[in-house]
Amino acid sequence: MVKMEEITYITQAYNELRPLGKEVCRITERSGIQNGIVHVITKHTTTGITVNECLECLEDDILGWLRKVFPEDGFYYHARFLDSYGAMAGNPTGHLKAMVTGNHASFPVVEGKVLMGSAQEVYLAEFDGPQERTVTVTVIGE
Amino acid sequence: MVIDVHVHPGFLAQTGALTESELKFRQDVMGLYKTDEIEIEAWKNLCRCAEIDRLFLLPLDLKTTEGGGVGTNEEVAELVKENPDWFCGFASVDPHREDALEVLERAFTEQRLSGLKLHPSKQRFYPDDEAMDPIYEMCVRYNKPILFHAGVSMEPGTLTKYAHPLRFEETAYRFPKLRICLAHFGWPWVKETCMLMLKYRNIYTDTAMLYFDNPKEFYAQSLGVDIGPHWIDRSLRHQVMFGSDEPRLEMLRMIRAIREMDIRESTKELILGENALRFLNGGA
Repeated sequence: MVKMEEITYITQAYNELRPLGKEVCRITERSGIQNGIVHVITKHTTTGITVNECLECLEDDILGWLRKVFPEDGFYYHARFLDSYGAMAGNPTGHLKAMVTGNHASFPVVEGKVLMGSAQEVYLAEFDGPQERTVTVTVIGE
Repeated sequence: MVIDVHVHPGFLAQTGALTESELKFRQDVMGLYKTDEIEIEAWKNLCRCAEIDRLFLLPLDLKTTEGGGVGTNEEVAELVKENPDWFCGFASVDPHREDALEVLERAFTEQRLSGLKLHPSKQRFYPDDEAMDPIYEMCVRYNKPILFHAGVSMEPGTLTKYAHPLRFEETAYRFPKLRICLAHFGWPWVKETCMLMLKYRNIYTDTAMLYFDNPKEFYAQSLGVDIGPHWIDRSLRHQVMFGSDEPRLEMLRMIRAIREMDIRESTKELILGENALRFLNGGA
């Protein structure tokens, strides 16, 4: 059996980490699937899905170090007019940061519950906000 | 107060969502092929992050050329009514429509809109055509400014010849009480735009220009090399307004580049808000 739901958020900042764990657990329980996996993926290329510990110090470090790796004033090719958009490419840092975090995560589902480690949180990582963002949660199993 | 004088409301979600065909029409007409409908809440967050307090909303009436518009006067009036402290609404009128003056007068009276947006390249008219005089006269009569698209337009179906900055000189000369903004700094004719602003103090411009590179690099070239690096700070500081061109360009990045410019802080304050208020209301 496969059950899929989309979650839409309006993010609040240019870069932010938004915990999704509770919502992923609720969707999994609502699916009725007892054993399988839950797959979480963002629909965008300047957001990521990443798993880490939900501590403000770590959240700050993650965003701070990504900012240092991909500085806003860096030299990027992705800074030009895009005919297919009719607009300027202006978000190279968002694409590159999203590449680091990846765009999806999966967890086991056991007896109807998401099996997550006690320190684990799953985040939507916004790297080009604030914007409306959609995450797809798919529960697969029986 | 920080003001963005150049924002397109055509993709803003309102009480009723845009239909699929209407969204497609607006994407095709504007040449913004991947721009989706934008929730008003998302725009509020964007303004909060960019520390922008007020937006000038610029619809575009293309009744005779495209059979519709991208944002209407009615939509803008409604948005302003619901968000009076946040939005300042401009009208748009297709100068070729037979009822242009009626539409404009209604916009200034019943709909209480604050100025007029015109796009010579898209609406296919020369600004110095005497057929435009009744529209200009009405703006003077109601003390409403006009924001003109000037310079190149990346929208489909546009010809740049209609919006060369020199085509606005006669209007500025013959209507000295009419405040006009040559948007986008008239790029690539930034030097010509500066010449006009120096000569005619009823001419303003905005910073909604980004055609190569990133905002910081583009401003460094356009406003620091193509024109003298001190021209704005010393001579034109009362006539330049911050504009982003959202959603074609991104207000968050555009305003960051303005804030990082190497000009005096008092000039930035003028660019970021005070000049827009004077453009809107007139006065010394």
